Amino acid sequence: MITLHHCVQSRSMRVLWLLNELEVDFRVVPHAFDKSLRSPEYLSLSPAGRVPALEIEGERMFESAAIMEFLCEKFPDIGYGRLPGDMDRMAWLVWLHFAETISQHCAPLTQQHIVIRDDADRSPLVMRLEEARLLKCYDAIEARLSTPVENRDYLLTSGFSACDIAVGQAVYIARHFARTDGHPELEKWYERITDRDGFRASLPDPESALIYTQDFYPPWDS
Amino acid sequence: MSQIRLHHVPASRSFRVLWLLAEMGTDCAIETYDIAGGSLRSPEYLALNPSGRVPALEVDGRVLMESGAIVEYLCETRPEHGLGRLPGDPERADYLQWMHFAETQATLVQELNLQWIFMPAEMRSKAVLQVQARRLAATAKVLEAALSERDWLLPSGFSAADVMMGFNVFALPYYIKMEKFPAITAYRARIEERPAYQAARARDGQQKFYAQDYYDPEAL
Ligand SMILES: N[C@@H](CCC(=O)N[C@@H](CS)C(=O)NCC(=O)O)C(=O)O
Ligand SMILES: N[C@@H](CCC(=O)N[C@@H](CS)C(=O)NCC(=O)O)C(=O)O
Repeated sequence: MITLHHCVQSRSMRVLWLLNELEVDFRVVPHAFDKSLRSPEYLSLSPAGRVPALEIEGERMFESAAIMEFLCEKFPDIGYGRLPGDMDRMAWLVWLHFAETISQHCAPLTQQHIVIRDDADRSPLVMRLEEARLLKCYDAIEARLSTPVENRDYLLTSGFSACDIAVGQAVYIARHFARTDGHPELEKWYERITDRDGFRASLPDPESALIYTQDFYPPWDS
Repeated sequence: MSQIRLHHVPASRSFRVLWLLAEMGTDCAIETYDIAGGSLRSPEYLALNPSGRVPALEVDGRVLMESGAIVEYLCETRPEHGLGRLPGDPERADYLQWMHFAETQATLVQELNLQWIFMPAEMRSKAVLQVQARRLAATAKVLEAALSERDWLLPSGFSAADVMMGFNVFALPYYIKMEKFPAITAYRARIEERPAYQAARARDGQQKFYAQDYYDPEAL
């Protein structure tokens, strides 16, 4: 049995989305996005106290992208990985890792807009700089999807893959902080990949407590 | 085969790739950039790597970005060096986990760099810098626990997962007090003894970020 430890709207959503797409049996243990992630029980699953964590065949794993790599290797028939030797292997690795580069800018933005309680500790400059970094990330995706010959529907020439899931989830969060206007190919791609049952099933249930209660968090004026 | 070319900033994440190539005994050409000087934003560089970051590696006729992806790719395509743990290896899950964990930790370094190094002093928030230093220390505890039991991250010995830490463990002391982390300190000394590491450092160039040995949020 596969068990996913999950917080809504967190990086564990990537793994949930992938598991939905893989059509394997798994169970989800929901966690609140709070201090309970620091409990000794949870730390034995994920020593840095972060989500996701995965239990699979008696093993424990943390790190969303590591889990995604591992699952794609475990279930190769579904075809969301590109294993060593595949023409798209190089690109698959690049875009899977790039998802984390995007999320690395969402983390301080989430802290600045949501986690910090005292307004005096918020930094409009950090907000603006991190938003600008997200826009640069969008540029890289836009450039990838737009090729001189024929635009790509997915990040890889060979079609939908776990990269679209990882980067797609990162963009799902990033859209709370940086608008995608001016990136037409990215917008079409985002619509395409989120129009999948696997994505919809990874969205928060109506009754769950959200991390992001607003659709958009504009940078503060200094 | 055409030469491998690394696009590099001294003491940044691209050092991981520089060190890995040295461990493989593979030569590369180096193009050096300067973050503050804006050379990563030049049209030429953006044409090569639209994300405007380092590392980028020209290899096997393509341009790759993302240090972790480059490290994984090089280990898979050059398995004779034994630095990766390929699919099916009993250590595969751990290998991947440490590989990606390096970036969980690097994020915090990056956020601290942003406030301490790239932002005017009067704009820093003491509370945020304290929290981020604590969060960084929490990730160091994870590393400390693993390294208290063994010399390298994986039980079978040195691997590319350790190379990923080649950026991290050298950045940690600027933001956390290392006395509490003797296993990481000893690990760093083991790394520094490796001839390939020394060769890579000799080519790395001078870091331009840090002007102090330790950045103390309590002093703000
Ligand atoms: N690189 C890790 C990052 C995991 C991570 O930071 N997760 C966040 C949620 S998106 C978390 O658990 N934060 C809780 C905390 O840091 O206290 C991964 O991809 O799994
Ligand atoms: N996840 C990426 C991150 C790359 C990254 O952000 N590199 C930094 C240097 S350590 C950089 O190029 N910063 C310049 C900038 O963002 O303008 C990787 O591991 O390669």
